[in-house]
Amino acid sequence: MNTAALTSKPRLLLGLAVIVVAIAAGLFGYLITREDEGPVEYFGAVINDPVPMPDAILTDDDGKPFDLRKETEGYVTLLYVGYTHCPDICPTHLYEMSEAIKRLPEKTAEQVKVVFVTADPERDTPAVMKAYVDTFDPNFIGLTGTRAETDAFQETLGIPVASRTDLGGGNYAVNHAAYVIAFTKDQVAYTVYPSGMGMTEWLNDLPLLVSKGFAP
Amino acid sequence: MAVLLGLIVAALTAFAACGGDDDDDDNDGDTTEATPMAKAGDLKIYDGWARTTTNAVSAAYFTVKNSGLEDTLVKATTNITTTVQLHEVITEGASSKMQEKAGGFPVPANGELTLKPGGYHVMLMDLKGELKEGDTVELELEFAKAGKVKLTLPVKPGPGMAGMGMGMNESMTPGAGMHGMATPAPTAMK
Repeated sequence: MNTAALTSKPRLLLGLAVIVVAIAAGLFGYLITREDEGPVEYFGAVINDPVPMPDAILTDDDGKPFDLRKETEGYVTLLYVGYTHCPDICPTHLYEMSEAIKRLPEKTAEQVKVVFVTADPERDTPAVMKAYVDTFDPNFIGLTGTRAETDAFQETLGIPVASRTDLGGGNYAVNHAAYVIAFTKDQVAYTVYPSGMGMTEWLNDLPLLVSKGFAP
Repeated sequence: MAVLLGLIVAALTAFAACGGDDDDDDNDGDTTEATPMAKAGDLKIYDGWARTTTNAVSAAYFTVKNSGLEDTLVKATTNITTTVQLHEVITEGASSKMQEKAGGFPVPANGELTLKPGGYHVMLMDLKGELKEGDTVELELEFAKAGKVKLTLPVKPGPGMAGMGMGMNESMTPGAGMHGMATPAPTAMK
């Protein structure tokens, strides 16, 4: 009797402990699954058919030929097609990218190139492109070309070729793809970043794109 | 036991903290109840700014909080140009376009009108010079019911805290990033 009484208490404690552990484990398990809700670690929208970097030569913001495949080899390249008279989406993307890159470790930042290609070559001369991209980051590359070149470039990327909306008084807006295309170091784009994604998403994805490319 | 109880408390605390995050969106209007930039009747205007530019175009943004009946922002004028339009951005498939919003911007009753990148903006065109950080822009808004109201906007390269204006509130979890956003049509990316 005595021994039984003695052992019953520890057993009770053990039983309680098991229940407590089970509850705790359940809670932690719940927490872990909550944190893992998005099993993908990239914010970028995954493209169904990855896009290779176009084999194109455009004109850089110093007026010199810019061989895209050659100049971006070995870098993570954030490519965006827009126009400098864009008041809203283009400067927002460029601003968010510049702010994110400022906050990255230098070793990561120096492996990222940002290339802004105009869809409005009539207004966006190399000088206009340079003045514009420099306000965000002097390292950003602004590219222009002839209308035929910039249209062909958009076609190669598989994005809708830009069109115009007349705003009156000689002003016009350029309708264009509003997302940034991210090429990994293998010069293939697996993810895009639509309007709405900003610094938070870049700070998550850029180190991954630099260190491991796209490997979800 | 003490350790285990401690764990439970820790777990519950973490859980509570975790659950709390989801409620942030509901507090949006209340937590930023700072001093408005301007008032007109039941309307209060907050967080206005205009974008730096090297070209002849810029955009102005702000939030209108309405504690009364529905109203409409019908017009905006400014001291820096006579070419001002109320614009909306429309994303169709992979392409975005910007155009004048017919009839102006609605201000819902007891609600908010928010101008932000990717949505509504006041489009400023034919500017005479650059807009630099630190400059200010005078803007006069005309509401259908509340009438006219003047505000002075700071010129900035972005909404202030990078990320706050666009993605921050909508998505904090990788993989959930497409929620509620203008999405490209990945099928167009052939």
